[in-house]
This record gives sequence, C-alpha cells and structure tokens, in this order.
Amino acid sequence: MTLLHKPATAAEAVRLLAADPDARPLAGGATLVAMMNADLARPSALVALRHVASLATISRAADGTSRIGAMRRHRETVHESDLRGAQRIVALAAARIANPTVRNMGTIGGSIAFADPAADYPAALVAADAVVEIVGPQGTRELTAEAFFVDWYATALRPGEIVAAVRLPPGPLGAVARYDKLVRVTGDFAIASVAVVAVVRDGAFAALRLAVGGCGPRPVRVAEAEALLVGARPGSPRIAEAAAALGAACDPVDDVRASAAYRRRVVPRMVAHALGTLLAPEARAA
Amino acid sequence: MRIEDSFEVAAPIEHVWAAIVDPVVIGACLPGCRSIETLGPTSYRAVVGVELGPIKALFNLQVELREQRPPSFVATVTRGEEGTRASTLQAESTLRLEAIDGGTRVAYASDVALVGRLGKFGLGVMRKKAESLGRSFAETFRARITQAGAA
Repeated sequence: MTLLHKPATAAEAVRLLAADPDARPLAGGATLVAMMNADLARPSALVALRHVASLATISRAADGTSRIGAMRRHRETVHESDLRGAQRIVALAAARIANPTVRNMGTIGGSIAFADPAADYPAALVAADAVVEIVGPQGTRELTAEAFFVDWYATALRPGEIVAAVRLPPGPLGAVARYDKLVRVTGDFAIASVAVVAVVRDGAFAALRLAVGGCGPRPVRVAEAEALLVGARPGSPRIAEAAAALGAACDPVDDVRASAAYRRRVVPRMVAHALGTLLAPEARAA
Repeated sequence: MRIEDSFEVAAPIEHVWAAIVDPVVIGACLPGCRSIETLGPTSYRAVVGVELGPIKALFNLQVELREQRPPSFVATVTRGEEGTRASTLQAESTLRLEAIDGGTRVAYASDVALVGRLGKFGLGVMRKKAESLGRSFAETFRARITQAGAA
C-alpha cells in the first residue's frame, strides 16, 4: 500500500517529503503513475501537489517575465497567451509533448523534475534562459535551467525539495522561437529535438540561444556556436560550422528510437535546418 | 551489455593487487555497496543499491572468483537479484593490472545481462549509469590506495 498525502501548502508538502526519503511528490502523474504501474518506481508514500494552490498559478511581471507554476498542465502552457517572443519556445515544446491525454495530466514541474533528456521541456527551457524556482526544507532557492538538469533522470533537486515554478525572462525584443522535434511517430519522445530563440535583424542573426534535446544527459548548448552565429546570413558557412559543433557536443545513447551514431549525424542537419528556416524571409514574416 | 574502461593508480602493482582482491576495500569503493561478506576463499556476498531517477533497486549479489593470476589478472562471475526477484543480473568480468611508469593501470571489462523490471529501462541509459559507477569506483579506489601509500 502506498500512502497518499494531500497537503494544502508547499511548506506542508516539503515537510512530508523531507520526513520520508522514499516518499515521492505526485504532480500530474503522467510519468510517475505509469512507472509505478510498470513496477519501476515503488515510493513508500505519495505527496500529491494538486491541492497546493500556489503551485498552479501563472503570472506575468511588469518587466515581461512570466512565472509558470510547477503544477501548470502542458495543455495550459500550450495555450498560454502570456508567453510571448522568446517565451513562445516553451509553449511550442509543450504542444509537442505526447498526446492530448498526457498534456491534460502532465505538469511542467513534474516533467522537469523527472528530467528525461528526451522530453520536450528541458531543451526549450535552456533556450528560453529559464530559471527554476525550488522550495525545500531549507527554504527557497533558484537555479538556471542549465544548472538544474545535471544527468540522465537527475536534477539538482535535493531530498525534500520540489519545483515551485519556472520563470521565463522576456528575452530580447523581437525574438522568435522555433522548436523542431524528430520522432518515429507523433507523440513519441524525441530522437532529437532542437529549440532555438533568435532575433533576426536585416536578414542576419542579431542574438540567439539554441539547445539540443534527447542527445545526452542534459540539453546540449554550445556558447561558442551561438557567438559564431551572430551576424550569420542565409547560406553562411558559419551555420554548418555551428551545426557541426552542436553535433560534436552531443553524447547520445543507442536506444529503441535510434542509434547514437544516427543521432550524431542527424543533429547537425536539424540545427542547420532550424537556423536556415529562421533566417528565411517567410519565417520572419510569420 | 559490455562495459569496458581503465584507470591508473599511482601505486605499485603489488599494492593495487592486494587492494583489488580485498573485499573490504572493494566494498568501501563500490558506489551503493551496503555490505559485503566473505563466504569462502573465492566467494563473496554483497548488497548493492543502485538509483536511476525515480528507480531504486537493491541487489543481493554473489561474486565468485573464477580465476586469479597474482598480481595481474582476476576473472569473476557475479549473479544476483533484487530482493523481490523483480530483476536478475548476471555479469562476467575480468580485471587486468599492468605496471606502468609511476604506478599501475587497471583495465576492466564486464558483460552484464539484466533481466526483469529494470530490463525494461533503456539499455543505453543503463550503460551510461554503469560507466558512471565505474568512474566513481575508480576515483574512490585511487584516493584510498594513494592515501594508504602515503600513510
């Protein structure tokens, strides 16, 4: 029997989790319940977060920063009109998660705490330069998305800590977002994904953040490649150079979806395609 | 799945050999090892916990030394299961020590078969986990040997 707690506040949830190292927080249950059904996870107790009202809100600050509560469902994030410019990358990624049933269940906090590298949010949050707000027994702290994801299925969360919210800065003025995901069938986890936030001015990249998902323990970001791309125009050899750098930085595994060798070959093409499309005039008009 | 790697220790091969066949040293260096006991001159029993994301497994392992050629070669067969028998594990491993400039190189290779609930999990990620456990073992082992040598 697994005990089910239903705390009404984040503080109470954290207290319950800190008191029992084998207890697990239950967000939407899209992954954890499936893993329990498959006998992969056997928590001693579940601490349901759905009654914690403070985790379910979304807000937009005066400076344009959006704060998405950890318990916001993927479906809500897909349709969130407050996510603008660079922040759109998170809505685009949410729209590609699994299927409507999972998008109705799953939450942003639950998804990133599970930290499957082939999931859609990790690369998108790194591209968005997101900050993860964490609440735990020692109070609150925050980490950049890049620091939050540390390894395969491992985050910087310490025992008893949960994700409280994800904060998205407004990003540079005029930024556009693009999320490409290579899958075997619609709704599957990514063979590889590419999340880009870019400002295109006068036909060239003026600013850019890019992350690759599904191809290593964490989202792959190469700052040198981004620097190389500033000023790049359509057809510039720097696009291929940057794409190759992203491919080289990947550390993929062989799995049921694709071989590691295939991923290393396909990532540079996906990156080059995403960059080329962002620079194309019709993409700018859209 | 085959795991192969090597690491270097700044200690003479005899010291490294003595440590590598000492279950107390191995138990202390193996990440997640809860206990290790000697069953006979060539067999040991160990309890090892492994975590991967939300998955936690506790394995009861029996290790048989199949062949020993001091101070350079050991072959072992490991068999084990989770407490609930939800997964079973079998591994054939070899370990080679080689004297090099300034110390010893330890090369290991292991053929691991994992069947059961943990077998459902992606093998690719399991391999990464095994590799990281190997690196962590090497780090702890290296620190322990060089410390003992300095003392």
